[in-house]
Amino acid sequence: MKKYYLGIDLGSTTSKSVIINEKDEIVGRGITNTRANYKIAADIAREEAIYDARFTLLEEKIGESQGKRPELKKYMEDLKNVFKYGQFKRRMDSLEKMLIQTVENFSHPNKADILEKLKIIIEKIRPQIHHEFIYEMLGTKNQFFRDIVSEKYNGEVSNIGSEFYEPLILAFDKSITPTENEMVSYNFKELVIESIKILDEKYQGLADTQGNNNKEDWYYAELNTTKDNYETLAYTLRQHIEAIADEEIPIANMVGTGYGRALLPFPEDCIKSEILCHAFGAHAVFPNTRTVLDIGGQDTKAIQVDSYGLVTSFHMNDRCAAGCGRYLGYIADEFGLSLNELGPEALSATRETTICSTCTVFAGSEVKELLNNGEERPNILAGLHKAIVQRAMSLIARSGGVKNEFTFTGGVARNQAILKYVKDMVANTYGNLTMNIHTDSIFMGALGAAMFARRNIQVNLPKAQKSEVREPVE
Amino acid sequence: MEKLIYTVGVDVGGSYVKAVLMQYDHTGGDHKLIDKQTEKIRKRNPKDVVVDAVDIILKRNNLSYDKDIAYLASTGEGEMVEKKKGHFYSMTSHARGGKYFAPEAKTVVDMGGLYVRAIKVDSKGKVLDYKMTGQCASGSGQFIENISRYLGLAIEEVGEISIKADNPDVPSGICAVLAETDVINSVSKGISTPNIVKGINLSIASRVVKLLSSLRAESPIVLAGGMGMNIGMIQAIEEISAENKKSTFTFISNPNAIYSGAIGAALWGGFRYYKLKEKQTTLVV
Repeated sequence: MKKYYLGIDLGSTTSKSVIINEKDEIVGRGITNTRANYKIAADIAREEAIYDARFTLLEEKIGESQGKRPELKKYMEDLKNVFKYGQFKRRMDSLEKMLIQTVENFSHPNKADILEKLKIIIEKIRPQIHHEFIYEMLGTKNQFFRDIVSEKYNGEVSNIGSEFYEPLILAFDKSITPTENEMVSYNFKELVIESIKILDEKYQGLADTQGNNNKEDWYYAELNTTKDNYETLAYTLRQHIEAIADEEIPIANMVGTGYGRALLPFPEDCIKSEILCHAFGAHAVFPNTRTVLDIGGQDTKAIQVDSYGLVTSFHMNDRCAAGCGRYLGYIADEFGLSLNELGPEALSATRETTICSTCTVFAGSEVKELLNNGEERPNILAGLHKAIVQRAMSLIARSGGVKNEFTFTGGVARNQAILKYVKDMVANTYGNLTMNIHTDSIFMGALGAAMFARRNIQVNLPKAQKSEVREPVE
Repeated sequence: MEKLIYTVGVDVGGSYVKAVLMQYDHTGGDHKLIDKQTEKIRKRNPKDVVVDAVDIILKRNNLSYDKDIAYLASTGEGEMVEKKKGHFYSMTSHARGGKYFAPEAKTVVDMGGLYVRAIKVDSKGKVLDYKMTGQCASGSGQFIENISRYLGLAIEEVGEISIKADNPDVPSGICAVLAETDVINSVSKGISTPNIVKGINLSIASRVVKLLSSLRAESPIVLAGGMGMNIGMIQAIEEISAENKKSTFTFISNPNAIYSGAIGAALWGGFRYYKLKEKQTTLVV
């Protein structure tokens, strides 16, 4: 009987979960945005990790019977993407119901018109999202339901007359939170079968030759092999889906960590500090790590570890969003960009605009002013990215500097512009040393938690014994 | 010289453009607030928003800018107002606007989108001394706006909801951006919306009262700026002030609080218009 261990890192912005096997290998990862109901956030992250684990098992099974051919990887990636669309569609349905209900409860005199406009918007969004998921791999772009929907919705609202702007935005704000806080369970098998059907249609409709697209040739070569082989793959998939969908994934132990850990519905001895977990996870992936920088949603941590991955000292930012992920998130909102677009645009800058304000909110209005004065957006973004890294560097200095090797984790480590500035500044201050960045950087905390779960380390120290006079035992 | 003129004041803030049409009485009678308009900037260029706001007011009153408006004055981010005849510094405008609300006022506190300013004024509305919040938005209107968005409330509802609180939950964090997470925490602990909103109003109110104490403000104090329209905020400020042993303040609120800057600018505009007129006539003589 296989045993699995689960780690959940409930961050301020995203909730991550990792499932590992008995060899500390990651078999499933899940991520969702943290919402008002922590229990739901943790549950969804766990469910996502379990789906991911099932996909891993599926891939192994097909690999056994079909051989690990390159088109398998592509097909599975496509399948996961379409699977996400299936989940998305179900959430979308409940959001639509909620939106209509919200508007019906409005006391606006022109309620009927608002409702009509709302229905027009919904009709416009649906096919857009379908297309982007199926043909542009939206599901693989690390975006969550809330972000994708609000981006599309706001875009459509802007096209509608200004008199409807406020009520339509308000309707969305009122509806999105309850929709997010409702637990939707999906039937894995049903969704996979549905996804296979959608993929069949997609591959049948593919052109055999490359059109006037500027997609690279290898992509097409891969597509063509997939196109010729998808039927075999789909057939094999259908063979295994039964077994995989019903396979138990027994979680032997779990540990929760992160910002919201105190509110997780876990027993007390299954909760660990995020500092320990981040350090432990980073150290497990890169055993020579001695300094860890973790820039998360709302705190930045500089951690020094010993050769066992245990924390020797650390420093955190103090109750201020300047210098962590939320700073970027806030600015992205001001610009009407998604988080993923910030880094690439900042990299295209010709110079860094100096941002005078420290405070996030002030920086937001300063940035608006700079834009109105004709400052280039990429340069402003570069300035903001540089500011974050400068604050992180001062934290590192206070925690004891950078020792070889240096590992950079947390959600912000996904941002290419941040990476550039971190590399530059670390090299400038501490000389050339090994710098580790892993694609799973954002999951390090959850991985550490899962590893603690496997080691079943008792977190609670032995309680202080009440001094009581005892009878001598004979 | 005509006795009554129309002046327009435009106050360009961080998140809203406020415009007013005033009837200015040169002979020292009462100036009248004829019309007012608030426009949310959102992600538009403030220049366009200013044009919209002024146009709406002029159209509504069948006035033409060239023929009927003696003076258009700007305050706040004045460079956004292209048609202005003159610009007045925010502090002077708010002081004057506060005096318009309550002639007996000795202090005006402007609680805006980004800053809170406490201004001591003399009997004529001249600025004697002032204090302002520093480089942190933890006591700003923008903060309340962000929170209300998260809770799915329209900004107009915030005040009404706040006064329904029975057991306010004051956030521990200070940072406006991080406090949003505090709010998520409160929601997940099952704390009611009124108690969350009231808690935030209280935390901002305690900053406002601290600022007033450090300025050694004299009562009565006029609550001006966007947050002065929020009855929950007014209530919170009064409560915090009552707990304050050292100094007791008395406050005057006004439903047009958000227009204090625009009104002040329009009034100074009228004043300047006649000053210029006098100069010209003396030159002619």
